[in-house]
Amino acid sequence: MTIAEAILLTVITAATPLLLAAIGELVVERSGVLNLGVEGMMIMGAATGIAVAILTGSSALGVLGAIAAGMALAALFAVMTLGLAVNQVASGLALTIFGLGLSGVVGARFVGVQREGIGKIDIPVLSDIPFLGRVLFEQDPFVYLSVLLVGGVWWFLNRTKAGLVLRACGENHTSAHALGYPVLRIRLVAILFGGACAGLAGAYLSLVYTPFWTSGMTAGRGWIALAIVVFASWLPWRAALGAYLFGGLTILQLHAQGFGVPVPSQLLAALPYLLTIVVLVLIMRVRQGSTAGPASLGVPFVPDR
Amino acid sequence: MSITRRQLIQGVGAFAGAAALGQNAYSQTNPLNVGFVLIGPVGDFGWSTMHDRGRRRMEEVLGPAVRSTQVESVAPPDFDRVVNQLARNGARLIFTTSFSYFQPTVRVAPTLPNVFFENATGTSTLPNLSIYNSRFYEGRYVQGVIAARKSRSKQIGYIASFPVPEVIHAINTVMRGAWSVDPNMKIRVVWAGAWFNPGREAEAARALVDQGCDVLCQHTDSPAPLQVAQERRVFGFGQASDMTRFAPSAHLTSSVNNWGDYYVSRARAVIDGSWKPGDVWGGLNSGMFSLAPFTNMSPEEVAEATRIRDALAAGTLHPFEGPIVRQDGTTVIPAGQRLNDDQIRSQNYFYRGIDATMPS
Repeated sequence: MTIAEAILLTVITAATPLLLAAIGELVVERSGVLNLGVEGMMIMGAATGIAVAILTGSSALGVLGAIAAGMALAALFAVMTLGLAVNQVASGLALTIFGLGLSGVVGARFVGVQREGIGKIDIPVLSDIPFLGRVLFEQDPFVYLSVLLVGGVWWFLNRTKAGLVLRACGENHTSAHALGYPVLRIRLVAILFGGACAGLAGAYLSLVYTPFWTSGMTAGRGWIALAIVVFASWLPWRAALGAYLFGGLTILQLHAQGFGVPVPSQLLAALPYLLTIVVLVLIMRVRQGSTAGPASLGVPFVPDR
Repeated sequence: MSITRRQLIQGVGAFAGAAALGQNAYSQTNPLNVGFVLIGPVGDFGWSTMHDRGRRRMEEVLGPAVRSTQVESVAPPDFDRVVNQLARNGARLIFTTSFSYFQPTVRVAPTLPNVFFENATGTSTLPNLSIYNSRFYEGRYVQGVIAARKSRSKQIGYIASFPVPEVIHAINTVMRGAWSVDPNMKIRVVWAGAWFNPGREAEAARALVDQGCDVLCQHTDSPAPLQVAQERRVFGFGQASDMTRFAPSAHLTSSVNNWGDYYVSRARAVIDGSWKPGDVWGGLNSGMFSLAPFTNMSPEEVAEATRIRDALAAGTLHPFEGPIVRQDGTTVIPAGQRLNDDQIRSQNYFYRGIDATMPS
């Protein structure tokens, strides 16, 4: 394996949890809800995923457990922000803190349990293609799933009526409501989808990436996923680009150090966030003052009766 | 007993009431309240796990004479708040168990003159601040020797945390050990910028293996690098606790910390009033740390590693003998001299022959 192949392989695996969480949050935000609790849902997914996998001995059940845990936390968020119309920013932050704490409790019994990770799937024939074959077609199932999700979300948002309605809720919930669409129900489904994706991203961390449990193991990846959504200006394919770019930056920085290239690692670590700010500024300039974000993003909706 | 920050806050009220009942009854009736501040989660399987084990040992030996409160995963910016809370909660002895807490402890200790502080891996003392550390570099020297024997690519990968003297002299010492076997050994260093971040540690390990390193040393606290070593069929060393089970066919040895006896003696000193600021730096012979059983090594390799380890423990082999030459070619000490403890503790340069750079 050449070094370029090796780097690409690691970039893809490093980007996958970011992409999974980002694509879920993208759908949530397109429906007009800002859920800052991605980090909390992700780590609950990580804790529950490995807990279920150890208890049942099945990685597949572990993944399902992680998805369920992410959705459970998301449901809690939905009760607060949709049902009680609580401030979304505050609820999201609370969800993150809650998830970080609760995951420690869930995972406490499984600290130090060693477990075999989920292996890679080798797609025959295709993986024999020189260079690209090994990089693209000899990955773990999550990598394939993340790419399918991006395509699926793009198709859903841009090619289906349901996607159009979801976007309408995000752009102007009053109009969507006036047209007779169930704004809150649509947002609930979007929030649950976001939770499922974040839980899946967590499962990737504790079942594939570093197959063991320790509290705090997401180490801020949920926040990077949030930055990616903004970086992507709420477009699915750009989210994939953002995830691979941000993942790539981390890996390249480590490689540069290993080769003895003097790079200011602090600057590189800050680069994802700096890039996000630059993109935001560019969007504002191009659109002359309006952001690319859904117009109703973060605004609670209380249907009048 | 492990207490979260939230419980700690609740506890303050209760203790304020208890304090009003009178301080003089303290020494007869109340157990000594000992606080522990940990940089990572108790379950990191490494550094913080071992401090927790030391704390438990202290409770086991001293029984009802002590009571301990532990706060885990405290980021340095939260340090002052947590320590003040512990002190208000009645802690009279506080162990701050990371180099990242050294400066904060120096800052806070004078403001709490009735509390005795103990900082792990710090570099200077105060009237109410002791420092304690193990001579982990002795283990690093053995790692270097083993790495040079096991490596085919002649390249060691080092997952470093922060460019502080403790890490820098460890990297220097690994290479001292490696060069004693093969002067052509090279090292690649990656700074993870964290003591504990399993994902990043794994990424760093993968990058090093991809660049041709086939023995990994880590100065970070999670078993993630060892798991990567196992997966990629290279070798690695465990950090702080015996990590054999995380990499049954990749693990060579681990440096195993043991703080329990020290914690017992310091708590006892506070109880009988003999506590004085001290500077303890225990080596392999002190029992403050040991090497886990050698695994995945041939009998000859085990014999050699054992011989080196015993020579270091006996003091017949010293890793900081001259000549010591910096990366830029300037001589620190000529042959025949040896660095003293303060010079070792303040090492901020790599030796000549190490190509790595430090983050500025």
